[in-house]
Amino acid sequence: MKEILRLTNISKTFPGVKALQNVSFDLREGEVHCLCGENGAGKSTLIKILSGAYQPDEGGEIWFEGKQEKLNPHLAIELGIQTIYQEHIVFENLSIMENIFTGLEIVRGGFLQKSEMNKKTEGVLEYLKSSLTPDQIMGDLSSGEQKCVEIAKGLIFKRKVIILDEPTSAFSVSEIENLLEIIRTIKKSGIGIIYISHHLEEAFRIGDRITVLRDGKRVSNYEMQNLTKEQLIKDMVGRDPSTFYKRETVPIGDVVFEAKNVTGNGARNISFELRRGEILCFAGMAGSGRSELMNVLFGTTPLDEGKILINGKTVKHANPKNSIKNSMCFITEDRQKSGLFLHQTIARNVIIANLVNTKKFIIKPSYDNETGDRFMKVLNIKAKNSRTRVSSLSGGNQQKVVLAKWFNTNGEIFIFDEPTHGIDVGSKQEIYQIMVDLLKQGKAIIMVSSDMPEVISMSDRVIVMKGGEIMTELDRDSVSEENVLTHSIGGREI
Amino acid sequence: MTKEEIAGQKNTINKSPFKRFENFTVLSIFIAFVVIIVILQLILTGASQFPTFISPVNLLNIMQQIGVSGIIAVGMTMVMISGGIDLSVGMLASLVSIITALGISKWNLGAVPAVIVGIMSAVVLETLLGYIISRTKVEPFIITLGGMITFQGIALLLSNSREVMMSGELDALKANLIEGAKDPVSGLNLVIPPYVLIFLLITVLAWILLTFTKYGRRIYAVGTNPNAAYLAGIDVKNMKLSVYAINGLLVGIGAVMLLSRINVGIITLGQGLEIDTIAMTVIGGTALSGGKGNIWGTLIGVVFLGSIGNAMNMLRLPSEVQFVAKGFIVILAVTAGDVYANIPEVLSRIKRNIHAKSTKEN
Repeated sequence: MKEILRLTNISKTFPGVKALQNVSFDLREGEVHCLCGENGAGKSTLIKILSGAYQPDEGGEIWFEGKQEKLNPHLAIELGIQTIYQEHIVFENLSIMENIFTGLEIVRGGFLQKSEMNKKTEGVLEYLKSSLTPDQIMGDLSSGEQKCVEIAKGLIFKRKVIILDEPTSAFSVSEIENLLEIIRTIKKSGIGIIYISHHLEEAFRIGDRITVLRDGKRVSNYEMQNLTKEQLIKDMVGRDPSTFYKRETVPIGDVVFEAKNVTGNGARNISFELRRGEILCFAGMAGSGRSELMNVLFGTTPLDEGKILINGKTVKHANPKNSIKNSMCFITEDRQKSGLFLHQTIARNVIIANLVNTKKFIIKPSYDNETGDRFMKVLNIKAKNSRTRVSSLSGGNQQKVVLAKWFNTNGEIFIFDEPTHGIDVGSKQEIYQIMVDLLKQGKAIIMVSSDMPEVISMSDRVIVMKGGEIMTELDRDSVSEENVLTHSIGGREI
Repeated sequence: MTKEEIAGQKNTINKSPFKRFENFTVLSIFIAFVVIIVILQLILTGASQFPTFISPVNLLNIMQQIGVSGIIAVGMTMVMISGGIDLSVGMLASLVSIITALGISKWNLGAVPAVIVGIMSAVVLETLLGYIISRTKVEPFIITLGGMITFQGIALLLSNSREVMMSGELDALKANLIEGAKDPVSGLNLVIPPYVLIFLLITVLAWILLTFTKYGRRIYAVGTNPNAAYLAGIDVKNMKLSVYAINGLLVGIGAVMLLSRINVGIITLGQGLEIDTIAMTVIGGTALSGGKGNIWGTLIGVVFLGSIGNAMNMLRLPSEVQFVAKGFIVILAVTAGDVYANIPEVLSRIKRNIHAKSTKEN
């Protein structure tokens, strides 16, 4: 098989982070090359380099069909590299044909050649054994069908490389089967496919080769038939646990929060207890239903069935307002979208949630600033004063403002959804210490994390979720990267 | 260091006075404007002719002219801070004036009940719009546009497309509170009607509401980030609803004031009022995207836009030219903030360049 693409010695440095270090990668005609690794292993960065969105650091070389190229997004498409991202970038209210040909219309004498474009689309859809017709509206299609259209586009324009980034994350079982079938079909026409997925079973079913990344480095490369599942997991994890953050342990107290058969928002039949002085971590892959569960626990989305008990009493969980009154706090995953008031001052951000607990209607502006200044000192938020706008702070300081907002409510039960997402190493340690300080005050923490070292080092117990259900519960002694990963990708029988 | 951190540092270094005092930009433009007008007036007409722009009688005149749109602009400010907009205020004001005038001259309700009916109908209609806006995801722009057309229709139906005459039943609202006071220079009568005081009172109340209360803080929160506001325990839907209700109250009050001045309930009364009030609010630094703005900014915007018209009248500019000038000044006022904010950066770039050159030469 002829080689299409070769990357040698690719590194990519961001301020403070080495996202990729000396990674090599190659792709042949008509093969499916899987790219595996945990969150933050560098898969996305590698794809972005391939699609021309990022430039590799000095020394990295990209060879395409024997010629060295310096990729940019435009050139990548011209050469025939198509990236199909996890999130669909489509024109919802245009037809399939229009979606395929937008920007690359077939025009003769200034007129669109609609029938020709339709015919081409129809031909390719038929080749892919799809029942879709060119005039169907994109927005009416399911996630799987949209993916099929994007692949059809790649075929029509004779692309040579198709990159699929987590293609099946929102798929039903039958859609996965269809997609794998389509991939087998297009392989035959000589297209090289780079396939990225959390679902290792898919990699085993259609992959020809597999490259494993970890912490920005290439760990291994196998022909698929020579690889066992155990070996793959071992390659993906295998960090040295002694480099993880070491937290103090805190004596564990009474049960403060209890979920009984909680169902809703995609989470099914979840039961657990949370004790004072404890960090209970929910681990799992992206899309395992952890954040969805947290929204139910906090009352953002309705609880369909089951009960939530706080200090032994069943609580009515209608909305966040009630939850805050019941001394719950929710540090969301996306702090800019749902945690912060970016264009407001630190002070205004800090006082806002506790307004639920104040009876007073008149509040002096000086109260805001005093409260803001107090928490800036407690949490070591670096800014000129509490009248600084939050939008000008760094990620770590912004996260601390979110924490201050919740500390101000005197909450007892904290939900941390990805507490250190997008935060530099130094601030990470500070946030961890703040979490431990909370435990010392007898508070309890539920943490959702996809950062494996964080899961291992911070948790007292780990609940692993998949598909909205609890797979297993691991205690401190049985928590290991390998163990967590094995359960999150589906128990023993991957 | 992450990118965010670098951006953060740059921002703290940037200690421009234009950023420290939010209303600085527009205030300075306004002052510049006044200075230019006075100079122009001195050149064109000489100091001998009256009335001049800065004479007490003319300043009070301006207050009378802006009183009504000022009240409505206060409501618009609150709506825009909460992340909304209201295009229906002009036609709603017309509708209220017609209802009130009908109540007095046709239904014989008496002045006070008719005024109450007029104002309450504004509150009810705006609450209705607010209900739709807060319960659906449709843009407030579209909903209130629909409201504007509907109100116009109702107003025309009620008045049979005619004007509704009154015989001075609301004159108490435009009575002169300082009867007999004279301008020391020109000797003309000075006039302060009650509605000017009501405008100032409403401005102060709105300032207190936005700055000193739980409610005010929550309006800003909802306008800045509704998601985060909801998670912080704020009832976002009802907050939005209540802001429109307050806006209705203010439009109602404003419309009654307008009616007392003109003495005729007529559809043209509120025409273009939505454009004027939005312009005033935006000049005052309130952002269309929500969460940003304050009442003092709006007050400056109101006085600014009001005095432009007044000054151009005094300079005897034809009304066609006035439109062009007014539009230009609106654009100038809202873009100036952006230009000002970039001055320190441009200056430092120039400094850097000079520095780089001098080191090269060495």
